[in-house]
Amino acid sequence: MNSNPATPMNPHAPSSSFGGAGSPDSNAPRRNSKRPKYSRFTQQELPACKPILTPKWVISAFMLVTIVFIPIGVASLLASRDVVEIIDRYDNACLQGTKSQKVQSIQDPTRNKTCVRRLTVTKRMKQPIYVYYQLDNYYQNHRRYVKSRSDQQLRNRGDENETSTCKPEHEANGMSIVPCGLVAWSLFNDTYSLSTGNNRTLTINKRDISWKSDRDEKFGSDVFPKNFQNGSLIGGGSLNESIPLNEQEDLIVWMRTAALPTFRKLYGKIEQDIEAGETINVVLENRYNTYSFSGKKKLVLSTSSWLGGKNNFIGIAYLAVGGLCFLLATTFTVIYFVKPRHLGDPSYLSWNRNPGGH
Amino acid sequence: MKGWRGSRQGGDSASSPVAVERSLTSSSSIRLGRVQPQAPGHRTVFCNDRDANHLAKYKGNAVSTTKYNVITFLPKGLYEQFRRVANLYFLTISCLSFTPVSPVSPITNVIPLSLVLFVSLVKEAFEDWKRLQNDMTINNSCVDVLQEQRWESIPWKKLQVGDIVRVKQDGFFPADLLLLASTNPDGVCYTETANLDGETNLKIRKALEKTWDYVAPEKASEFKGEIQCEQPNNSLYTFTGNLILQKQTIPIGPNQILLRGCNLRNTEYIVGAVIFTGHETKVMMNAMNVPSKRSTLERKLDKVIATLFGVLLCMCLIGAIGSAVFVNKKYHYLELWISGDSQQFNPRNRFVVFVLSIFTLITLYSPIIPISLYVSIEMIKFIQSTKFINNDLHMYHSETNTPALARTSNLNEELGQVEYIFSDKTGTLTRNLMEFFKCSIGGETYGTGVTEIEMGAARRNGLNIKEKTASNTAREKGFNFDDARLMHGAWRNEPNPDMCKEFFRCLAICHTVLPEGEETPEKLRYQAASPDEAALVTAAKNFGFFFYRRTPTMIYVRESHVEKIGKVQDVTYEILNVLEFNSTRKRQSVVCRYGDGRLVLYCKGADTVIYERLASGNDELKKISREQLEQYGEAGLRTLCLAYRNLSPETYESWNEKFIQAKSSLRDRERKLDEVAELIEKDLTLIGCTAIEDKLQEGVPSCIETLSRAGIKIWVLTGDKLETAINIAYACKLINNDMKQFVISSETDAIREVESRGDQVEIAQFIRETVKNELQKCHEEAQHIVHGSTGQKLSLLIDGKCLMYALDPNLRSTLLSLSLSCSSVVCCRVSPLQKAQVTRLVRKGANKITLSIGDGANDVGMIQAAHVGVGISGMEGMQAVMASDFAIAQFRFLTDLLLVHGRWSYLRLCKVVSYFFYKNLTFTLTQFWYTFQTGYSGQRFYDDWFQSLYNVIFTALPVIIVGLLDKDVNASLSKKYPQLYKQGIDNAFFNWKVVGTLACFSVYQSVIVYNFAIASSTTGLTSAGKILGVWDISTAAFTCLVITVNLRLLMMCNTVTRWHSISVGGSILAWFIFIFIYSLVFVNKGTYFTIYVLMSTAYLYLLAILVPIVALLGDFLYQGAQRWFYPYDYQIVQEIHRHEPESIGAGLLEVGNQLTPEEERRYAFALLPRERSKHTGFAFDSPGYESFFATQQGVSAPQKPWDVIRRASMKPKSKSPRTSRH
Repeated sequence: MNSNPATPMNPHAPSSSFGGAGSPDSNAPRRNSKRPKYSRFTQQELPACKPILTPKWVISAFMLVTIVFIPIGVASLLASRDVVEIIDRYDNACLQGTKSQKVQSIQDPTRNKTCVRRLTVTKRMKQPIYVYYQLDNYYQNHRRYVKSRSDQQLRNRGDENETSTCKPEHEANGMSIVPCGLVAWSLFNDTYSLSTGNNRTLTINKRDISWKSDRDEKFGSDVFPKNFQNGSLIGGGSLNESIPLNEQEDLIVWMRTAALPTFRKLYGKIEQDIEAGETINVVLENRYNTYSFSGKKKLVLSTSSWLGGKNNFIGIAYLAVGGLCFLLATTFTVIYFVKPRHLGDPSYLSWNRNPGGH
Repeated sequence: MKGWRGSRQGGDSASSPVAVERSLTSSSSIRLGRVQPQAPGHRTVFCNDRDANHLAKYKGNAVSTTKYNVITFLPKGLYEQFRRVANLYFLTISCLSFTPVSPVSPITNVIPLSLVLFVSLVKEAFEDWKRLQNDMTINNSCVDVLQEQRWESIPWKKLQVGDIVRVKQDGFFPADLLLLASTNPDGVCYTETANLDGETNLKIRKALEKTWDYVAPEKASEFKGEIQCEQPNNSLYTFTGNLILQKQTIPIGPNQILLRGCNLRNTEYIVGAVIFTGHETKVMMNAMNVPSKRSTLERKLDKVIATLFGVLLCMCLIGAIGSAVFVNKKYHYLELWISGDSQQFNPRNRFVVFVLSIFTLITLYSPIIPISLYVSIEMIKFIQSTKFINNDLHMYHSETNTPALARTSNLNEELGQVEYIFSDKTGTLTRNLMEFFKCSIGGETYGTGVTEIEMGAARRNGLNIKEKTASNTAREKGFNFDDARLMHGAWRNEPNPDMCKEFFRCLAICHTVLPEGEETPEKLRYQAASPDEAALVTAAKNFGFFFYRRTPTMIYVRESHVEKIGKVQDVTYEILNVLEFNSTRKRQSVVCRYGDGRLVLYCKGADTVIYERLASGNDELKKISREQLEQYGEAGLRTLCLAYRNLSPETYESWNEKFIQAKSSLRDRERKLDEVAELIEKDLTLIGCTAIEDKLQEGVPSCIETLSRAGIKIWVLTGDKLETAINIAYACKLINNDMKQFVISSETDAIREVESRGDQVEIAQFIRETVKNELQKCHEEAQHIVHGSTGQKLSLLIDGKCLMYALDPNLRSTLLSLSLSCSSVVCCRVSPLQKAQVTRLVRKGANKITLSIGDGANDVGMIQAAHVGVGISGMEGMQAVMASDFAIAQFRFLTDLLLVHGRWSYLRLCKVVSYFFYKNLTFTLTQFWYTFQTGYSGQRFYDDWFQSLYNVIFTALPVIIVGLLDKDVNASLSKKYPQLYKQGIDNAFFNWKVVGTLACFSVYQSVIVYNFAIASSTTGLTSAGKILGVWDISTAAFTCLVITVNLRLLMMCNTVTRWHSISVGGSILAWFIFIFIYSLVFVNKGTYFTIYVLMSTAYLYLLAILVPIVALLGDFLYQGAQRWFYPYDYQIVQEIHRHEPESIGAGLLEVGNQLTPEEERRYAFALLPRERSKHTGFAFDSPGYESFFATQQGVSAPQKPWDVIRRASMKPKSKSPRTSRH
């Protein structure tokens, strides 16, 4: 105890700790050493490895990357090459005219939207063949769009009125919409039916096209569409009110919002092989309005590999990086031999390079 | 009543061990530091009468030093926190994130902010709690108070003004007390003021004679005095008041006052009356907040943060413009024309879209400013200082049992950038260990010792003098003298034995030393205000004049018999007056009466003042003595002249009346006492002179040499004479003869001549002109040499008087540029104020990082003025340490403090700061790139929780580990290659170039992370053909990001310990654990199940390998090429010593340097001045000198209340364990 003036002065000051006032032992000099105790931590002598980025290390690291990356790149590219992919843009083909005409006709519910497309298969497609639709310039990732949904409502029957996050598509005619929000409201509703040139119907299986976790947890089995597309504006497809949401797989797929304005979504899969040279007739209902914002619509048929769909990016990236590293390794090796850098040469020290020059 | 407040210079008085009223010069209102305005009037205290005092409503004795209480803690603590701009910024962002414009949920910003605030508040609370506990123990400790004729024990906090208290031996005084009575005879008691000013020597307080009897409680309860005294103030060494006792008015001075915070020694108990209580006590009035310093790096950091904020605004602007352009009715699925919950995307009002988007994007990009940066830095620095600096065994001084102490943790990295060191001399470079070395009696010089300076000089001249080691028998602390002619009573055979006798008596009588301990020559210890004094008394003892006891009126000396060798007799001398030493007088006198009635005045002092006061005649002796004085001075010794004067009773009586009058005057008491002293200190007879050796601190020369190799320039600022300073500078290798020396001194004949005419105005003008001319001349010459090719180093020597004029605004720039071109500068005879001014000149004028190191109260100013203040602890007063940022026991520990801790701290902090920028910039940029893909809507890429935990969990720990453990080269190499330190001075690791490079890599990496994740995910990614959504891709991207930034940290490390691997691995693992749990628990989140989905794809694995490697390829290439083609010095050193194993525990036995101190000093003295300097080395260290001369010049030098001038004796006693760490 003390009334050390230092204590109030500065919290960091060493505070004295004498014995109590008048306590008999406060005078007895306690000979306890203040010598700090040794520990590797406090003496900053923790065992450590000290990697030095020597030329050898640099070169070996580059070589290692080369050795690892090139095979991966080759494998990825091969996998990607095995994938057969047919892309057919049909938005303009199915609807001619100026932009406003297109918009007008697509918005006219009475018009017949059926459109037939013919695709040629150049290479044998092994089942399963995935049918995708691909939209362009479609901002599913717009902030207003992304947040306009109610995950709670989709999941629980009881939370039907949890629509506050769904604005502006939260209610119609004074009642909550199930499923609410812009995402559901703008559900894609073009449909495709495929057959081969020799009139073999290619059945599109639309089961199990969504993530299982979505079906099991995010979309309730007891939640049924209600008051959907009943507002003044119709955004997209409508839903069968007798099927619970967790079985409305198109909706589930649609509601897994895409990351980019150009995106594909799984439409279904064909569980038959298609031989090379065969033609595919596509009868599609061109209902979805992308014309007002000049968005492209594409139909994609694709097989898949262990890597997924046709995507050369990863393979090329691996190969490029591997190649680059090889190049760098070579360059450094050349430099190493031409103008070697002696390790730990004191003449490199700045004060040795220009003596006296401070 | 105002006139009562005689402010005083210096504090010699405080250490006065003599129970006579002290005589001190009164100076004008010169004080260092702030002067507290004093309430007008005075206070009247009725002793022993609580009711009467009750009316005055004095404050209680409870003290509180806490910053907060329970109620104010939260508001006040939060207020303190939000005074930081960064916290305020995040508060704003958090508020914004509650509004609908925010793309992120409030959690994102609130969680990190509250965590940061929480940590800071806990720290504050903890510190305050410690303070509270401390207060409580103090307030609740008990003291005996007189109540109804009995001593009652009550807690301190219940004590009231006017109470009569009893304090027992070793007890602390609970408040400022008036000493009434003591158990010691003559009402004397001894106090230790270590808590107040750090001086460990005892001070005597003496009660007024009238009150001596009030010892017993029965008697004391009769005491009904009335004390009239000044209002509470913060001046520790003054007190003016009167005690009105039985209608008699008796003056009270500081001598009767016992201050709170001191404790009682060597006295059974005392009785006192409470005058000031609680916060009104002098010690509490002195409690002031030391202004906190911020490091240069942190200030630079602010600039970088401001820049980042600018970048943030630019990004927001781009996004907002994009958003305003993008919004269009054509995107029908967005229903932009329907307001929804805000107007944010209404295409009809694009300006609103623009403005709101700015807010949206600020919220989104807010992590660009690293929120946890400050708190992490604080944490790192705190651990660095408490665990590393405080515990460094290399900086532990076993002799004084003092470890290093970092008193602030703000400035660790500042230590790595110091370019200028300002050092005090005495106690810092030298030991302040005075040894009686030589003397001259009656013109005969005694003492066979050879100083190291002389040895150095001799060695240069080709002579090799072997040092005699311990040949003499009587060697003890303070006495290093050997001459058979004087020792063991042999002086009786000398030609002038009477003179010798006077000499020894003068040494034994004329002093203010207190004996302590058993009264035998072996066991008795001397308590002296200055080590010189102790050395002199010790010398007297060794010559057979053993001073063993003192009472306020008597001095007891055991003298060896004048005639018979071997016989001793106890002789008592009555001390009639003591005319104390002070810096103005530079002398000290004692009037004493021999047993036979002979009245003698003994005087000792500086040669200049003594010679002025010598009686005429005997010119031969004066001349010889003067020559000897010069010889001593040249040998680096400190000299004093001794003289005496026989007084006739009449002369004495008439003088004494004047003396008493002066003593009891209330106004200008000190000045009057000086004037009176002047009347009797004349017509002196010279006896001889003494020479005392001032020892250099251990390892100083090699330390200075190392530091200067590190590019640090060392200036010595000392109160000593020019010649002494030069000698020490030579000894310390600061100056050598190859250097071009510029000397600007006021001790020239021309100036002396003008001064002798006495016209102050003329003197000032003349000196100003001289200084101006000198400065310009030197400056030109210096420029010439600097631009020339000779490469000659320069040094500047300037004395305080010239410095005063040189610091004039007109000349300041010349002085600065001259001194900056010099590699060493010595300023001598400078005042504390000038020390501070010089420091500030370099700090402000040259914008260089400065460090001041000193040990005494006179260094406080410069310690506070410099960027970093270092105090020498363990020896002396605490004032320098109290004001300092770091306290070390020895000057040589500066090598460790700067070259090891400072350099490492700087390196580490640079890494930490740049890494923080890097990781947050990279993170935010990925977000920024995504903005372009989302119609500039401000849609977030990552989940809220990813963003908020990114800073506080996934990337937090490794950087702290690096901040603690990273080191480029180990401690011994840091000291072996001091040049490595230069990179810190040049700030090579945290400048705009570094930040720019870093930013480029950030951009590169963010582009890689973002684009690779996006570009490889456009098609179906599982063999089931399913497509990934935004949350899946962002999770994958985030995984890559976490891996990348953590690995990048590993790449920055010079050393990789277990902890590095654990923390880096742990952080990555933490991310995976988090996402595994998180994506399983929150069904309503977009991230539900994502990681499991991702894990089923090859995409995640391929990406997680590809992205970090590609992203880090750039850094790797850069680092490899940099090391290959433009290696840093430290990298070369690493390579040179790459095969050496880390020496663990090595260097703990040998401390610092390989040379023994002896070898080192010899080495140091090898280069000593060839020029013969004529100086006499006046011995008493007189830091008070400056205020004297400031007064002379009419300069008001502010003086700290604690400005204790007296140096404490070196008491080898181990102090009670005084340091408890918070």
